[in-house]
Amino acid sequence: MANVTKKYPANTQRRRMTMLPIALVGLVLAAFMQGRIDPDAKQFHEGEIGISGAAGGLNNEFLLLPLLGFRQAAAGLLWVRCDEFFHSGDYDAILPLVRLITWLDPHADNVYITGAWHLAYNFTDASERSDRRYVAPSQSLLEEGVANNMDIPDIKFELGWQRYDKIKDFIGAEEAFKKTVETKPNSKGDDFPYGAPLKTLHILAHTYEKQGRIPEALIEWQKALDRSAEMLKRKPDDYSTKSLHEAERRNYAENLQRVRNRYSATGHDSVNPSPYPEVLEPPPGSADKTPRPWDVAFVPEVQIVRPRVFKIGGQFNSQDGARIDVRITDWDYQDHKITRTLNDFSVDPAQTILMDSISVRKNRFEREMDMSKDPKMYSFSQPTYRVVLSYNPRNTAPHLLDRFGWSGEGLTDVDKSHLYMNPDPDLAGTTYIEGQGGKLPVWDGQTIPFPNHGQPLRMIRVTYKITREQVLNQKPITEKDIVSVQ
Amino acid sequence: MVAIAIARQTVREALRRRVFWIFLIVAVFLIGLGPVLGFLTPKESQTIMRSLGLAVILLAGLFITIVTCIYLIPVEIERRTIYTVLSKPVQRYEFVLGKFLGGFAIVFLSVAAMGAVFLALIYFQTTTVGPDQGLLRWIVSGKVPMEMVKGVVLTFFQMMLLAALTIFFSTFATPVLNFFMSFGIFMVGNLSSVTESLTTSRNGLTRTVGTIIHYMLPNFGNFNIQNAIIRPTTEITNERVFIFNNIVYAIVYSAVLLILAVIIFDRREV
Repeated sequence: MANVTKKYPANTQRRRMTMLPIALVGLVLAAFMQGRIDPDAKQFHEGEIGISGAAGGLNNEFLLLPLLGFRQAAAGLLWVRCDEFFHSGDYDAILPLVRLITWLDPHADNVYITGAWHLAYNFTDASERSDRRYVAPSQSLLEEGVANNMDIPDIKFELGWQRYDKIKDFIGAEEAFKKTVETKPNSKGDDFPYGAPLKTLHILAHTYEKQGRIPEALIEWQKALDRSAEMLKRKPDDYSTKSLHEAERRNYAENLQRVRNRYSATGHDSVNPSPYPEVLEPPPGSADKTPRPWDVAFVPEVQIVRPRVFKIGGQFNSQDGARIDVRITDWDYQDHKITRTLNDFSVDPAQTILMDSISVRKNRFEREMDMSKDPKMYSFSQPTYRVVLSYNPRNTAPHLLDRFGWSGEGLTDVDKSHLYMNPDPDLAGTTYIEGQGGKLPVWDGQTIPFPNHGQPLRMIRVTYKITREQVLNQKPITEKDIVSVQ
Repeated sequence: MVAIAIARQTVREALRRRVFWIFLIVAVFLIGLGPVLGFLTPKESQTIMRSLGLAVILLAGLFITIVTCIYLIPVEIERRTIYTVLSKPVQRYEFVLGKFLGGFAIVFLSVAAMGAVFLALIYFQTTTVGPDQGLLRWIVSGKVPMEMVKGVVLTFFQMMLLAALTIFFSTFATPVLNFFMSFGIFMVGNLSSVTESLTTSRNGLTRTVGTIIHYMLPNFGNFNIQNAIIRPTTEITNERVFIFNNIVYAIVYSAVLLILAVIIFDRREV
């Protein structure tokens, strides 16, 4: 059978010959446009995890939206589900969802913040002590949130606040709050023409105070005062700004007053007529009126009363309100850092860490710490443990700071092995005690080798190295278990 | 003018179809459900309402576009009404163009209707209506959330491109096959961030396939900017240029698909 070639009308053939090249040119043009779109498109998807990765944990009902490009809508629905879990107390179910949501929508600032708060604060033992193993993943989640949202101050603020409040890492907090303040102004933001709210300046100032760096704190308070004054010029009746302005004035004045009272022998008023700096005031009733740091005469006592139940107590010669920090960990405890897998919030079940603090009343402190009820939190699966009892003046109440100073300048112990001077120059404060002589700070007759940073942080710290047998109450804990390793 | 007349007739026919109205009414109903998320914090509830609103517009737009456009040409052939049309002084390209314009108008009407409901909902959510604060004043005063308008506009152009793709397939494929092909390519085209990453793969074969898919297939993922626009604090550089490029891309690619549709339809025996 002969081949039949179909004949098309001439105009059809002609049109085809004309249109086909046009279509090809159009395709090339579209590809060219795609090349121009790609670089800008990247910023719309910054921080997103590929759908193949995120879809691995998605139920079918949530899968369609991300496949169609609506990752954010799927993230929103998952967040609604999270909210239900929060209310029903099903906390474990929340973590994978938080992970998934932040993959789908890396700009969900609320999810980063709430998720990190949930991790750091809501997993607790029978005595409501939080599971510290979750702090590192919580920090990592916030750091990831910051990296994905450099223009949003809230996540940076939360990162700083967690370091300030939960970890007491004031250097880390300072770094985070500084980044928050440096956030570039967003014309759509509530704080425009500033990048971050006024409260960030306040907390940064408090962070400097916590580090004993009062001149820097005063600078921040002054900046806050200037800004609130400017805001009040624009809105004179704004109650919130007026309150903040008043708080700034009070804090600024209070800092100046405290520096003078604590570190200076001059300029005291009728409230504090003492001829000595408060941090070196002679003990009341003592015949010897030589200015000196206060001897807290720390006597630690650590016992195991039942297997995995610690009784921690002792003497601490201070006013009521001081808190002795207790940290019980594996000897070589390392923070767990998250990696980007779905279950990366899970913590190492073989790790043990407990952190608590015991208040001092009438020079005594004591508490039983029952770690037997939460074997998932406190597995005690390592051979040796570190028990650290410490007193850090930077975490203490103002009435004690008056005596001990921001950096523990007024703190000493008859047993010098209890004194711990933190060698980290970044931790040193900026204060100098009047009348101690020389340009360098002098303390207990010794020159402190931190000329550029002022007083190093001086605290009380005792470390025990104990074994698993001791934890299981098969062998008593004695003073011999105190180690010099700080 | 012939194409316009065909488009007008196409719109009339499409509006007579119940499935169009069902999709539209369900979509409007779903958009209206946004405020029930009031139990979340105001910021979160706004975010979720906006994201779900845009998602519903896209989903409903997707189904309306596909379901409407897959039948536009096959139905004419099946009912043999195409003979009547083509026996008149109507060129085949005019017929295809008219059908596309009709489908385009339907897409425009549906996306515009859903977009209007969506924006009205945002208005009622964010504004306390008083004697001096009406809807008109809201619009005139420039308080309309332009990010949402941009989202709706880009969805519209995304649907326009999909309509062109569906019309292209309808010149040679059955409606069922057309549905799966259009939907499939829409899904693949939505994974543009994935295909873009494949263009730099170390594996040569993957790189070649990724490059072909990324640059040759219609890239629907370009239009998905919801994540960025829903978060009011996100700042996007070159946003106008990006949106302009996307609109140009949609128009150029739709034109290419229509030309190919005309070429195929010219050679098709009906």
